[in-house]
Amino acid sequence: MRFLMRRLGFYLAAFAVAITLNFFIPRWMPGDPTTRIFLGLRGKLTPQAMDALRASYGYDGNLWDQFMVYLGNLAHLDFGVSTTNFPEPTSSLLFYSAVWTLLLVGLATAISFVIGIGMGIYSAWNRGGFFDSVFTPVNVMLNAFTPAIVALILFYAFSLQWRLFPLGRAHDLGIEPALTFEFIINVLYHATLPVLSIVIVTFGSWHLGMRNTMIGLLNEDFVALAKAKGLSDQRIRYRYVARNAILPQITALALTVGYVLGGALITEYVFNYPGLGKFTLSAIQARDYSFIQAQLLLLTASVLIANLISDILNLILDPRLRSRTQE
Amino acid sequence: MSSDRVLMKVRDLTVDYMGDFEVLRAVENVSFDIREGEAFGLAGESGCGKSTVAFALARLTRLPGLVTGGAIEFGGEDVLGFTGDRLRAYRWREVSFVFQSAMNALNPVIPASEQIIDAIETHTGKTGDAARKRAAEMFELVGIHPDRLDDYPHQFSGGMRQRICIAIALCLNPKLIIMDEPTTALDVVVQRDIIEQIVALKAELGFSVLFITHDLGLMIEFCDRIGVMYAGEMVEIAPAEAILTAPQHPYTRALGRSFPPLSGPRVRMEGIAGSPPDLSELPVGCRFAPRCGEALPLCRHAAPAMISYPEKRCQAACHLLQ
Ligand SMILES: Nc1ncnc2c1ncn2[C@@H]1O[C@H](COP(=O)(O)OP(=O)(O)OP(=O)(O)O)[C@@H](O)[C@H]1O
Ligand SMILES: [Mg+2]
Repeated sequence: MRFLMRRLGFYLAAFAVAITLNFFIPRWMPGDPTTRIFLGLRGKLTPQAMDALRASYGYDGNLWDQFMVYLGNLAHLDFGVSTTNFPEPTSSLLFYSAVWTLLLVGLATAISFVIGIGMGIYSAWNRGGFFDSVFTPVNVMLNAFTPAIVALILFYAFSLQWRLFPLGRAHDLGIEPALTFEFIINVLYHATLPVLSIVIVTFGSWHLGMRNTMIGLLNEDFVALAKAKGLSDQRIRYRYVARNAILPQITALALTVGYVLGGALITEYVFNYPGLGKFTLSAIQARDYSFIQAQLLLLTASVLIANLISDILNLILDPRLRSRTQE
Repeated sequence: MSSDRVLMKVRDLTVDYMGDFEVLRAVENVSFDIREGEAFGLAGESGCGKSTVAFALARLTRLPGLVTGGAIEFGGEDVLGFTGDRLRAYRWREVSFVFQSAMNALNPVIPASEQIIDAIETHTGKTGDAARKRAAEMFELVGIHPDRLDDYPHQFSGGMRQRICIAIALCLNPKLIIMDEPTTALDVVVQRDIIEQIVALKAELGFSVLFITHDLGLMIEFCDRIGVMYAGEMVEIAPAEAILTAPQHPYTRALGRSFPPLSGPRVRMEGIAGSPPDLSELPVGCRFAPRCGEALPLCRHAAPAMISYPEKRCQAACHLLQ
């Protein structure tokens, strides 16, 4: 448990650093957001209006006061007002889009992990066989594709040409968002292509990672002993090899969360999916700083949380770690 | 302790390793018997094929290794002909194996209990509590408190881990246990402890042992008979004590001289001059001839056959003895 507390402390410290940087970086940059709005409006703003605007962005008073206001707002999950979707508060936009991204990325990661790990186990066990010699290189190749290409191909073929899937959005506008069967099916229907495009570019790395770790383990003495004991192939495969090989994959899973969120950017843009990625892209184009800042904080928080979850899982699954950390 | 009834009969065993460009004959025409209740030792320099023989006897030879000739008879049955369920039963119910590295023979992430219980469940009707009870008995037998059954391998010392491996090897009451350097990875004191325990268990349970170690002193102490191998061939089989006191083959003599005496003053050891031949470029005639101080011209072109010398209770393959 002390190990976990230490990790938790580390993650909290990292998050505090992120929060602080998030406060200072825009203030180090030349001009505050109001100046940019002022310039954007070509001077059509009165000095009073400027001051009011500055105050609403938390850029008045001395730096310390500003920081306090910033922290206070953060505690209320108040990230200010979005300039792109004025006067929508940034937080509601952020959480709306975060839900869709979480659905997309969560679903895609889960599917990709399960498929990749399953294929990895199969090809390691039958290494050099037909499946292994065909799919291992193919999956490595798929893995090298950029998400953009895959998303564009899928979008062009299935949405534009054959019209099998919708052109965008997370669900049809005519449907009331509620936990009904109809709505869920509609959401899944809209998510199919974006999820598929993420799965296609990511499952290869799970396949490869699992396969190589397992092949390394097949030469271990404990596997030889398990075979000599006459255990069933199934038991050896899962209990003596896959059981051990999954540990590094779980750590890798946590590390990819940030990357996958980044990857969803392109996918969401192509499929016009209302997730974080799409809004981040338009926020960058529109210089919507409050949204970008909030999004960076969210990204930091999710990477840290993913790492914490992987720590906990590793602790549950790896007895060596468990007792090493009890001392 | 050992009776005269033969448990395992090995005849002309030949094992090859298939390389990309050539076939290495690591073991050639090796013949010996293991009697009931006997500890039989295999001695010889590194690379002479001891492990290869051990794995072949347990039917654990894996590619690139291949048993290409000879016969192994166990209780009158043809071991090399075993397949499927018969092979499964042979391995572990009748013959079990203790691997060299205690550190790596147990899966680090599953409890020790599971790794002995699965063997019991796979081979006997016992499941659940009955299998667990048997596992606890085995732990007790090798001197580990059954309370520790559910501990993970890393929670045990190296010596305890090797004891657990021995418990796993013993749990089905096999007739033969093959031990390929079972204590090499352990420190000397623990090594001795474990060997003494195996001796006691062997007396109690009456299994036979095929024992491989580089410690000739230990081997002589523990084994009833010893087979000496050189470059893939058996060169001498003799009662254990005769290996030092009355070696017949020049290689056995050289091997004995290269070990410190068990008692008495320490003398300077002479290693065996030269090194064993490359398996891909074996000399014509006797394989040991190039290193043998007494080699005759005959030795360099005709390979000596293994011949029995009943008056010396041994077998050896050497022209000098003719
Ligand atoms: N997997 C393999 N592929 C090719 N050659 C092998 C393989 N395993 C063993 N050999 C060769 O077979 C010969 C016998 O090896 P083996 O492991 O049986 O020797 P050993 O007597 O057990 O040696 P040691 O005392 O070092 O354990 C050696 O020349 C070795 O190089
Ligand atoms: Mg060996």
